Formats: sequence, structure tokens, C-alpha cells
Amino acid sequence: MKAAIIYTSVTGNTTFIAETIQENMEKRNVATDLIPVDEFHPERLHEYDIIAVGMYTWANGEIPIEMEEVYDAFETEDLKHTVTGVFGSGDSFFAHYCGAVDLFRDMLYVHTNLAVTLKIELMPQEPDLVKCEKFCDRLLQETLVIQ
Amino acid sequence: MSTINQPLTKIKLLNPTYPNKSTGIINGESSGLLNWNDIAYPQMYDLYQTLLANFWKAQEINMQDDIKQWDSLTDVEKDIFLRVNTQLASLDSLQTPTMSHVMDYVTDSSFKAIFAVISQQEAVHNESYSYVLSSLIPLREQNERFNQAKEDPIVKKRNEIILESYEAFRQDPTPQRLFELGINSINLEGIYFYAGFAFFYNLARQQKMLKTSTMISYIQRDEMQHAYFIAQFVRILLTENPELNTEENIQYIYKAIDHAVQLEKEWSNFILKDIEGINLEEFHGYVEYLANKRFRQLGLENYYPNREENPMPWIHVFSDEMMNETKSDFFEQKSRTYTKVSSSNGFDEL
Ligand SMILES: Cc1cc2nc3c(=O)[nH]c(=O)nc-3n(C[C@H](O)[C@H](O)[C@H](O)COP(=O)(O)O)c2cc1C
Repeated sequence: MKAAIIYTSVTGNTTFIAETIQENMEKRNVATDLIPVDEFHPERLHEYDIIAVGMYTWANGEIPIEMEEVYDAFETEDLKHTVTGVFGSGDSFFAHYCGAVDLFRDMLYVHTNLAVTLKIELMPQEPDLVKCEKFCDRLLQETLVIQ
Repeated sequence: MSTINQPLTKIKLLNPTYPNKSTGIINGESSGLLNWNDIAYPQMYDLYQTLLANFWKAQEINMQDDIKQWDSLTDVEKDIFLRVNTQLASLDSLQTPTMSHVMDYVTDSSFKAIFAVISQQEAVHNESYSYVLSSLIPLREQNERFNQAKEDPIVKKRNEIILESYEAFRQDPTPQRLFELGINSINLEGIYFYAGFAFFYNLARQQKMLKTSTMISYIQRDEMQHAYFIAQFVRILLTENPELNTEENIQYIYKAIDHAVQLEKEWSNFILKDIEGINLEEFHGYVEYLANKRFRQLGLENYYPNREENPMPWIHVFSDEMMNETKSDFFEQKSRTYTKVSSSNGFDEL
């Protein structure tokens, strides 16, 4: 089984979550590639059983512009059976808390086997680390269901 | 004398022999020309655009509904409404000149441009308080209220700390004082506004004075983004100038923000004590939760234990629908065609 985490981050919070998720996946014996969005190749999506996508939210809850290519790839490549999760960091004071996660979620639900979403306020705190564990458990659980 | 206490020189407008892309946010070599395609921190261009996309002005908001409702407020509500309004106005009055003053010493032109936008937005906030006042009370009473704000001992005590730091930088613009100014600016924009915000959003929860709270909502959105920018500015300042990145300065941050928290609690005890719908105990917890967020924005640890959860989630920016926003999207996103899904569709939301 192989997993990938594709992410983007400006101030480092989403990077931290992505790294935490990677550690948790490796702990569960799943080889996991950590891919910053500028190293992303659409054709490689098929190599993975599990893909987690992570991003911050700016600008009225929109998806960061650099994630457009990833978004398009999920729409056009056939990934119906890939188990996916989407996570992000945001600030609940804004009108659309982690709005980018919501937008990505709606698309992934249609084009992939979406298992789980995760929103974290800024840099993760203690309770968020538990959620990162759950996020991984949920992804793995879904792959077992398929097998 | 260590370099952090050496005055920054006011920079020349143009230094043609230096590169356009600055070698530092302070004391850097920079031509003074700004080409947004060649900047040291490219994410600053996105931030600049995000700030510009916020553009709004007070006159866009029609105050008629609030004017009609004003007389139905209780005397206590009216009094606190006016006190909060003038107190917030006096805070914003400090920000406009300070942000443009800092520009003179920042060597990176992209940061300068963002300080200019922030300064402009603070000017709009300032005007919007005047606009609200002019809709509700005559000039004589407005002036009385401003005098009241100037003399209020709690307001004075709060503002003095900020003023001292801003003034110190004015007198002697060193890197150390610029760092301190940044932290005080975060206190002003990121802590001191919130008892006031709570008051207006609480009225809004009761469907009262919604036009004013719409304006407050615009202001909060701007202020939050300013606080993010200043936090990034401070982090970059400390990273680029390791001699500023000392245990002492980290302690300065914890102390200064904690002090602002105590002062905000004190102000709330006075301003919110008779306001129905706001529990003071809960608000104190809220201020600590808020400050923890500021620490995390600065890359530090939470300071207040057991304050991970927001006890007053209704203090937040209105959604676009509520603000009736029609502005086009800056990022030219394609229209999204998917239906909103939730955990009832068979996945988990954590
Ligand atoms: C200009 C600006 C706008 C923002 N707008 C939103 C928003 O609409 N919704 C949200 O949840 N967070 C918003 N945030 C907060 C960021 O998403 C949050 O700081 C996040 O932790 C950043 O993640 P990163 O460190 O991975 O870049 C905004 C931040 C900035 C600086």
C-alpha cells in the first residue's frame, strides 16, 4: 500500500500538519510520499492507494491558486477508487473557516472515494494531534473496506 | 552599541545601484523600485492582492435601519455603543500615521506597499466610526464622547503603553524598537478591539444595529489580515536579524501580550458588565483563547492552558451573503459546480 500527501502552505501550519500525517502513516506501516504542490505531477496520482490533500485558506475561503492543477487532475484522471482525505489550516474568525477544504471536499466526494476531512485552527494544538491520528485511521479503514 | 540599538536610517527614495529585490526588510540594499515579479517574499504579492480585494467604504452601507432602531436601544446600550465607537476610533487614529511612518524605515519595497495599503484601510476604519456617529447623534455630543474617550482612565492606560512604544520608535528608530512596535501593533489590532467587537456582534445577535455590525465585520476582516501581516513581519524580522531573536525578546512578547490581555479583561469588566447576553467570565476566557492564537501566529506556544476552544464562536466576520457582498473575486476562480456535501454522505469530518 502506498500513500501520498500533496500540500501547500504559506506560513508553515499546513506543512506541519502534512508532516504529522506522514509520520502517523509511516507508523502504521504505509509508505507515504510528502509532496509540496510545486513538485506535483498529475500522472503520478495513479501510483497511490491513498491520497491526502492539504491547504491553507486565504481570500474569502477560496482554494489557493497553486492548487488549481491538483484540483483539475482529480477531475480529469480516473481516480474513482483512490481513497482520499482533505485537510487544512484556517482561522475560525473568518466567514469561511477552511473554505478551501470545503471546496476540495465537494469535488473529491464526486471523483474519488472520500473518507475524511480535517480542519485545524492555525498551528495544531494537543487535541488536534489526536485528530491527525484519527485522520490516518479513517483513511486506512477505508482501504481495508475496499480490499 | 549592538546593532539592534543602532538607529535605522531613513531611506532614500531611490538607490539606483542597488537591486530591486531587497536584501533585507530592514537595513537591506534596495533600489526602491518595486517590481512585484521580483521580490524576496513572493507570498507578499498574494497578501497585497488579498488586502486590496477587501476594499470597501463606509458610504456603501446605508444606515437607515440603524437610525430607526437607535431610539429603541436602552440607555445603557446607547451609552456603551458610543463609548466603544469612540474608543475604537481612537485606536485606529494611531494606526494610520504609525503604519505610514514605519514605511520610511522598511527597505523592502513590497513590504512598504503593504504598509501603505494597511494605512489606507485604517483611514477608512476611522472614517466609518465618524460615519456611524454622524448618523446617530449631533456634533456637540460626538465631541463630548471623544473627550470622554480621551479622558477615560482605563482607555488611557491601555493606549499609553501602545503610544509609548510607537513614540519610542519615532524618537529613536532602532530594530529593537521596530520589533516592539510590531508586538504592540498586534495588541492593538488583535486584542484591544475584541471587547468592542463582542459588544456589536452581541447586538447583532439580537437583530439590533445590523448596519453598524456589518461595518464592524468589514473592519474585523481587515484587522485580522493586518495582524497576520504584522506577525509575519515580526517573524521575518527575527529570522533575518538573529541578534533580535533572543530569549529576552521572546519573553517580551509573552509579557506584552499577557499585559494586553489583562487590560482587555479590565476594559471588558467596565464596558460589558451590564450587557445582556455576555458573560464576563466567558469573555475573559475568550480573550485568553484569542491571545493563544496570536502566540501561535508568531510561531510560539500557547500561553494560557486549556484555552484551545473558542467559547464565543459568534464573534466572527459575517458571511458574504450577510454582508450582501457583490464584489467580484480577485483570484479569477472558475465557477465550481459541485453540491455541498457533509458527513451524512458517508465520510468523517474531524
Ligand atoms: C490574508 C489572509 C486571509 C485569510 N483568510 C482566511 C479565510 O477566509 N478562512 C480561513 O479559515 N482562514 C483564513 N486565513 C487564515 C489562514 O488560513 C491560517 O493562518 C492558516 O493557518 C495558514 O496556513 P499556512 O501556515 O499553512 O499557510 C487567512 C489568512 C490571511 C493571512
